[in-house]
Amino acid sequence: MKKSMDRRTFLKFSSAGIASALVTSTGLLSWNPRAEAATINQTFYITEGFITQPDGVDVYFRGFSPGRNNLTVPGAQMIVQEGDTVRVTIVNTLGTSHSFKIDGIIDSGRIRGGESKTIEFQVNRAGTYMYYDARNAPYNRLSGLHGGFAVMPNGSSNKVYAGSPTFVQQYFWLFHDIDPVWHNTIRNGNTPNTRYSPRYFTMNGLSARPPGAPGAMDPNTDSMADPRSALHGHVGDRTLVRVLNAGLCQQSVHTHGNHMEWLTDNGQVRDDVWSKDCIYLEGNMGKFDAIYPFESPPDAWPPVTTGIYPMHLHTEMSQTAGGGLYMFGALTDIHFE
Amino acid sequence: MGRRRSSNTDTTTTTSSMGGGGGMGGGGGGMGGGACYVYPGAPATPGLVNADVTFNLGIDMNIPLTMDDGTTINMWGFSGSGGGMGGMGGAGTFPSPAMRVTEGDIVHTNLSVNMMMMHTIHHHGIEPAHTSDGVGHITWDVANGTYTYQWRPAHAGTYFYHCHTNTVLHAEMGMYGALIVDPPEGAGTLFSGGPDYDVEAFWVVDEIDSSWHTLPWTAGTCGGDVGLNELNPDYFVITGVDGSGNSAMNAPPISATVQRGQKLLARYICAGYHPQKIRFGGLTGKIYASDGRPLPKPVSVTEIRAASAERYDIIFEPAQTGTYLIETDIIHWVSGDVLGTTRASITVV
Repeated sequence: MKKSMDRRTFLKFSSAGIASALVTSTGLLSWNPRAEAATINQTFYITEGFITQPDGVDVYFRGFSPGRNNLTVPGAQMIVQEGDTVRVTIVNTLGTSHSFKIDGIIDSGRIRGGESKTIEFQVNRAGTYMYYDARNAPYNRLSGLHGGFAVMPNGSSNKVYAGSPTFVQQYFWLFHDIDPVWHNTIRNGNTPNTRYSPRYFTMNGLSARPPGAPGAMDPNTDSMADPRSALHGHVGDRTLVRVLNAGLCQQSVHTHGNHMEWLTDNGQVRDDVWSKDCIYLEGNMGKFDAIYPFESPPDAWPPVTTGIYPMHLHTEMSQTAGGGLYMFGALTDIHFE
Repeated sequence: MGRRRSSNTDTTTTTSSMGGGGGMGGGGGGMGGGACYVYPGAPATPGLVNADVTFNLGIDMNIPLTMDDGTTINMWGFSGSGGGMGGMGGAGTFPSPAMRVTEGDIVHTNLSVNMMMMHTIHHHGIEPAHTSDGVGHITWDVANGTYTYQWRPAHAGTYFYHCHTNTVLHAEMGMYGALIVDPPEGAGTLFSGGPDYDVEAFWVVDEIDSSWHTLPWTAGTCGGDVGLNELNPDYFVITGVDGSGNSAMNAPPISATVQRGQKLLARYICAGYHPQKIRFGGLTGKIYASDGRPLPKPVSVTEIRAASAERYDIIFEPAQTGTYLIETDIIHWVSGDVLGTTRASITVV
């Protein structure tokens, strides 16, 4: 057991090294439906390390990573199809016990430190899910052990669920909030007993860097430049966003340029599709699906078809880092090209 | 350690270090460095045409707000001349002056900011060209001049406008106002083909953390912990009035008096950052629109949970005389604890 670790023994990563692995492994989620169900193999290594935050502070994280020698937070985005068999191998490189769970689909149970486990499950219900470590809840999940998981309807490339409005491209927006005191307590094998005070806010693992800031426009550092987060489309490129909340803060997800078509709420298909510029995102694993329609911004005069707009959380505390640094929080840009 | 930002402006950036901050802002106190990651400008507006309606707004960083306990809190806001053509200036109010326009109008919002600071106007829910969207990092923060935001609302409904510079602070400081778009039929109809109404109420519910109200307009932009990740409100307001006691009760246009058989439209704006839950004191209302868009089917409710900046348009047709308490809980975004409650009323005669 590695109860207490010398910090020098940790892997330490700049955020740059982390996201590049993700971008190359998935990038924008394009999806070609298959006529036949498939078996999807995925191996995750549970690793730990430090990630440097926008104010320069290194914060401890654990992640579902692609190898023993790296740290990925969140874990790679996974997209599969109804009927597929998913075979996930978890290699726990740490001394602590962990698990892999998708609510309503699979729970690996305890995977002890140093052990590996392969689980196999079939996915039968289209939707947006989070995979996460359910042990020591919510702390292991908060430490970074989470990722986005999507199940496409059988044979569909453009629907969220059978009969849903259609889209032409899809993204995950996985939000997280980080209290470095809690993360350090988790690192030391203890249970946080301080009031939760988040100081960093991310989407798909990155915070934003406004123009001129170090790391701005670097897709491995800046969530506004991250191709997993920033929406790019032409008018008519209806875009699905699968919104997940790994953190504890309730959020208000706000888009400029267009309202969103609000399709699902916490896994339930809504009775009606409402057109919203702000959507309530529950804390502690809340989720929704929405389509950003990429319609010509309706209130422009003269009319326009191109432009750049932000998506940001209107719970504005989440737009900061380290108690200040507005625009170094959870936001991205939307490009009408 | 990884990169650690120095405590002041990175000279390699495109940011401005135009000073400002504490002294002139009226907030005083807490002065740190200059402004970082702001993008000063006030260029000519692309595609400018003659307007049907013009709002001329200035900045007022000294708006005293007296709470029920006698405490005076300094607010910031826009000062203005409403829909007229007069000059800027005059005292600001909290909330800032309401804008009321008609669907299809070409609207100019002229924002004048002096050389000592920067602000913008984002018409929340209105979706114009990005040059008129008021987001500094994409375009510019208005500084040392006047910028014209040009927009033409396509959808009747309830919106609001707010500053989008160092937004976490400036919007909390009170830099917002209601924005109502009437359909061509005019006030009295919510949207074309939608319900009509006889009386209107405005429920703009917000929380105030008085510890933020001595910060300069630049607070935190160059780094340093100024506490903007923690909003711990100690006052709760509805449409500019302390809502924790009776100050908003029977006070139109927050509270409303209607006759049986009349229709009341309540325009509810969640203007704070923490989530809210509004309860209608036993009345059932019908939501016809949210965020400036009609619902496909109206929904009958006795309470609504709302996230920051959501708007709901609710029609009440009360059948029984009496006074109904409209209570809005402000709920902590992590703990779910009720931090405070605002109170208003609907009186049915």
